[in-house]
Amino acid sequence: MKTRLSTVSLALAGVLSAASAIAAEPIKIGVVTPLTQTYAPIGQQVRWGLELATKEVNAAGGILGRKVELIFEDEEANPAVATQKAEKLFQVTKVDFLTGTVNSGSTLAVGQVAERNDRLIATTVSFSDAITGDKCSPNVFRVNARAGQQSAALAEWLNKEKPGASVFFLGPDYEMGRNTVAAFKAAVESRGMKTVGEIFAPLGNKDYSPFFGQMRAARPTVLYTSVAGNDTARFFTQLEEYGLRKNLLIVGASGTVTSQNMGALGAVAEGYVTGVGYSPEIDLPANKKFVTSFQAMAGAAPDLYGADSYGLIYFYKAAVEKAKSTDTAKVRTAMRGLKWMTPQGEKEMRAGDHQAIQDMYAVRVEGGKFRIVSKVAGTLAVGPDSCTRF
Amino acid sequence: MGALVDYIQFVLVPQVFNGLTIGVAVILIALGLTIIFGLLDVFNMAHGEFYALGAYLGVTLAGRGVSFWLLLLLVPLLLVPVGILVDRALIQRVFHRKERHMLTMLLTFGLAGVMEDVFKAIYGANIIKPATPLTGGIDFLGNYFPTYRVFLLAVGALTIAGVWLVVNKTSFGAMVRAAAFDRQMAASLGVPVRRVYSATFAFGVALAALAGVLLAPLYSVFPTMGKDFILLAFTAVIVGGFGSVRGVVLGGLLLTQIQSLASLYVSPVWGDPIVFGIMVLVLFVRPQGIFGGKLGHA
Repeated sequence: MKTRLSTVSLALAGVLSAASAIAAEPIKIGVVTPLTQTYAPIGQQVRWGLELATKEVNAAGGILGRKVELIFEDEEANPAVATQKAEKLFQVTKVDFLTGTVNSGSTLAVGQVAERNDRLIATTVSFSDAITGDKCSPNVFRVNARAGQQSAALAEWLNKEKPGASVFFLGPDYEMGRNTVAAFKAAVESRGMKTVGEIFAPLGNKDYSPFFGQMRAARPTVLYTSVAGNDTARFFTQLEEYGLRKNLLIVGASGTVTSQNMGALGAVAEGYVTGVGYSPEIDLPANKKFVTSFQAMAGAAPDLYGADSYGLIYFYKAAVEKAKSTDTAKVRTAMRGLKWMTPQGEKEMRAGDHQAIQDMYAVRVEGGKFRIVSKVAGTLAVGPDSCTRF
Repeated sequence: MGALVDYIQFVLVPQVFNGLTIGVAVILIALGLTIIFGLLDVFNMAHGEFYALGAYLGVTLAGRGVSFWLLLLLVPLLLVPVGILVDRALIQRVFHRKERHMLTMLLTFGLAGVMEDVFKAIYGANIIKPATPLTGGIDFLGNYFPTYRVFLLAVGALTIAGVWLVVNKTSFGAMVRAAAFDRQMAASLGVPVRRVYSATFAFGVALAALAGVLLAPLYSVFPTMGKDFILLAFTAVIVGGFGSVRGVVLGGLLLTQIQSLASLYVSPVWGDPIVFGIMVLVLFVRPQGIFGGKLGHA
């Protein structure tokens, strides 16, 4: 028994002496992100953003003298797959930190895996308000803007542009459509604007003209919509056809007009305004440098996913350097209230719900491209902290 | 009182007009469907994809500089040989088997799947939005009627009248009706039945293609567009009566008006359940449809 104990203590001593050598061991960051299927283009941006920042950090000496290593796994935008891959990265690969999840369901599920494994994760993409709201977790951080920040930024801009506006709402009749309309309605009504009508059309609706009578009779000055994809093309075409785009400001969700349908929409998308957390146009030296390096490395322009993923590596670096450790509890404490620099300027991680506070932008389609029309201060757009778990 | 006038003028009148244009769209698609069914006894599950093929062909040719007005003639004509080929290569192959209904339904269903994937492979999954050939609108009684929709109503009415004339007043129509009424008798009287079948299928397909060209500026073009109107068109055929031109026109107008006006009072999501509920009701009470009967009798 005694010999066995001494063997154990010898082994322990060996481990301890090896600890100093760990300084040279890389910090491992697991990335569970969609590399195939529908969301692959988003996963590609995530990957480019993370790789660019990691290259820069490693070239400048790493974090606490240790190199950063990224280990990728395919999320397939499927929560069930994401949890398996996360489990494997935590238990077999022993990653220090994990990021990359795109699907909001994946982020929530992987957050639970992180809690069981006592590790931290961060999402750089997921929009669902619940992640840092009623389903918040002490182990989950979000460095990108959530859906509520996008609509608050838009409402804030709208209030300046058209104070007291009469707003008509048209959304697709399912979870996302109803949520986005409810959120924006609350945002405009709290700023003294009026709701004059709302319609929920079936997803994949063919013809919106049967709703135009009601819309016209309500005499709105602003139309808010959260239809997406093919529905946007039809809705906007028919608005144009009926001459309704005249004297009507059309605003909406960030998913309504995207790079995927912008080309097909052409002139009928002109003037559309939405709220976003990033644009390659942001006029900051840090962003200009980021866009140039990103373009040179990836051969494509960064979008919000690339920019937020790039910023995440600097978030983790700042937290570990402040904690002087990669220990979960110490890093968590360091992350709370942390301010760090990103291409979008300084962001602050709110301690109460782990939601990043950042400047937001109202962008408008002009000549087939989104142009920044206004900046909305981060504190005006972030909304209240509704997390009660910690 | 003023509010009531306002309501009639600004809500009901445009609602009826908009319902009418959607009705014409449904009828244009349903016409080919009912003709093919009335004569051949074939439920063409790929009809929506021929509508999409017409739209894609229109987009492609327009990209080469062909004017929209020429496309209205050219695209349906180009689809005639396609229709003949499909009839000869697929439909006629199983036409004389006992389980014809099931086999032709499965065949055309498979064809629909293949066509949809071919559209995706050639044109990509993203939506294409052709320019509207007639912009602007007509101000009338304080309402705004887009010029292109008025044009669509006119072309729709002309097409319906034309199809009715072809079926009821031409020798081709007489042969079609004869073959539909009694195939053996028609053949023994010298009607080239096989050729009449192919021609009828091609005629139905050409009508779908015309609908594709006409409706593309309103509803855009994408691989799954064939599924859009097909259910409503099938329902119009069932409610109006299989194989009847009159029935399809009435069924199409009735259903789209109900759907359009209903959306004023109940959530638009109920539009489809109401329409399909009517179809179920018709099938219970009068299974042959309002103007039911085979094409030969209509």
